[in-house]
Amino acid sequence: MGYEMMVGLTGLGCLIALIAIRVPVAYSMILVGGIGVTLLNGPAIFMSQLKDLAYIQFSIYDLSVVPMFVLMGNIASQAGLSKELFRAANAWIGWARGGVAMSAILACAGFGSVCGSSLATASTMGKVALPEFERYNYKGSLATGTLAAGGVLGILIPPSIVLVIYAILVEANIVTMFMAAFIPGAIAVIFFLITIAIYVRFNPDAGPAREAINRHEFWTATFGVLPVMLIFGAVIGGIYFGLYNPTPAAAIGVFLVSAYGFIKGTIRLQEIKVSLYDTAKTTGMVYLILLGAEMLKIFMSRGGVPQAAAEAIANSGLTPMVILVLLLVALIILGCLMDSLSMILLVIPFFWPVVSELDFGLTEEELKIWFGILALIVVELGLITPPVGMNVFVISAMAKDVPMRETFIGVLPFFGAELVRVVLLVSFPVITLWLPRFLSG
Amino acid sequence: MFAYSRWLDLLLTLIKAWALLGGFLLLAVVLMTTYSAMAGFLISKPFPGDFELTQMGVAVAAFTFLPYCQLTFSNVSADIFTAGAGPATVRNLNRLGSLIALIFSALLIWRTYAGMLDYQTYLELTTILQIPLWYAFVPTLFSLFLLLIASLITLRYPLGSSNSPLTEI
Repeated sequence: MGYEMMVGLTGLGCLIALIAIRVPVAYSMILVGGIGVTLLNGPAIFMSQLKDLAYIQFSIYDLSVVPMFVLMGNIASQAGLSKELFRAANAWIGWARGGVAMSAILACAGFGSVCGSSLATASTMGKVALPEFERYNYKGSLATGTLAAGGVLGILIPPSIVLVIYAILVEANIVTMFMAAFIPGAIAVIFFLITIAIYVRFNPDAGPAREAINRHEFWTATFGVLPVMLIFGAVIGGIYFGLYNPTPAAAIGVFLVSAYGFIKGTIRLQEIKVSLYDTAKTTGMVYLILLGAEMLKIFMSRGGVPQAAAEAIANSGLTPMVILVLLLVALIILGCLMDSLSMILLVIPFFWPVVSELDFGLTEEELKIWFGILALIVVELGLITPPVGMNVFVISAMAKDVPMRETFIGVLPFFGAELVRVVLLVSFPVITLWLPRFLSG
Repeated sequence: MFAYSRWLDLLLTLIKAWALLGGFLLLAVVLMTTYSAMAGFLISKPFPGDFELTQMGVAVAAFTFLPYCQLTFSNVSADIFTAGAGPATVRNLNRLGSLIALIFSALLIWRTYAGMLDYQTYLELTTILQIPLWYAFVPTLFSLFLLLIASLITLRYPLGSSNSPLTEI
């Protein structure tokens, strides 16, 4: 083993140690990356790189969709969209057995279509749906489990912040990534609905049926949800059909969501300020991690660690499918321990070189898309599993009468549905790749 | 018990206000981009230079967010592995992160300043609007300076300390 490789592997060890002792992920990456590059390239080169490394990184055009989508989601959380979504979904299927839970899933999906974050989706929908669950005597674990799981849809249905980051990391096209996420996201919705239907079939008392609503309420509720569809159509539709790039689409989204809030009277200067502060927190965190990831990438590729890992795995004699499954399992485990975004930023630079060597009969572009969707889904599973299931924490904090353990139990059926979906998507890449192939001609 | 000075209050307000200013800059970029996209889409006359203004504006805004992030402990860390440690240990481990932030911001102030001088000497302009790139480095330097101050503050009041003035941020 050469000197470079030694330094690289030691750096990797230090990185893991730093993260384990609570040093923020971004600063762990910056420290290890910085010292590593200094050791391998000499201080002069690194000091000269530092002159504008951060600025260049922060001014990447594709990255500008991140703060905009974050802002759009934050404003949407306060604009009252969630109420309208839930009301409409409730009017459509709320009368069925388990209907309120199904409505919550549909509303989460709807909210996910204007918000790129799982936590925001879970907490926003939680506020609206939890009182309804209580009103209709739903079992606590079904209510909280549904909302925690439904939150995951926030990130699967475009726009998705993590997906943008992944696309930038592996240099994939953001537009095609968004296209690819659509059908897997829709499958998630359908599977969650089926899960609820099965659940209430065996536990009829968990989600009692209620009387159907009248025709007037049905149409009012349906009409109320039109603006959301319009916003989603203008943003994601505009991206899909190539009317504009993701950044203008995100800007238009911010504009439309704010306009909606202004008209409804739910958004005033105070709400805008709160949204901006929240956006500042998320954006600052993401950008700093990206800077750290860039420094780490310079160091690691100089040390040759990802290439060596890719080579070692390629020579291991395992079939591509086995390797892929092993990587996904590793991602599930890591996703349980860490925040999904930092996980993606930390792991993808090592995993992608390995995956890109695997032969599944796909082009490299298709492989990027397929693996990205799979990675996104399994990493997000960490949001609903112990020990750090953030979605579960958020919902538990809101539903004080349901113990957290109950929520983790309530989420289990949905976790099962997610595993089925992953198996399906792994077995049939065409599910993910069909829409981008179709839309890009 | 520890009474903190009015200076600290002032710095906290400044860091918060700076982030909000960056937020409004982001909002301005949003409006400009929306206008440009709409104009480009409807009358095929997009706003000239929207691309580079977005790059510059978002980068400057992102830097203004860093000190606020530091103060609000928004930089994610994995706390699962040290969940069993005592509160004093946890506080000191949290200080380690602030220490790295402090060293990093100091280093970056020095290097960014050098970078700004470079960009002034070999004048680099944006393609369409011909804006000198070093303009963006001025607010960036101030952001980094505030990041340094924010790291000092979080070094003094790490996450988990009692009577911290940072809980009300």
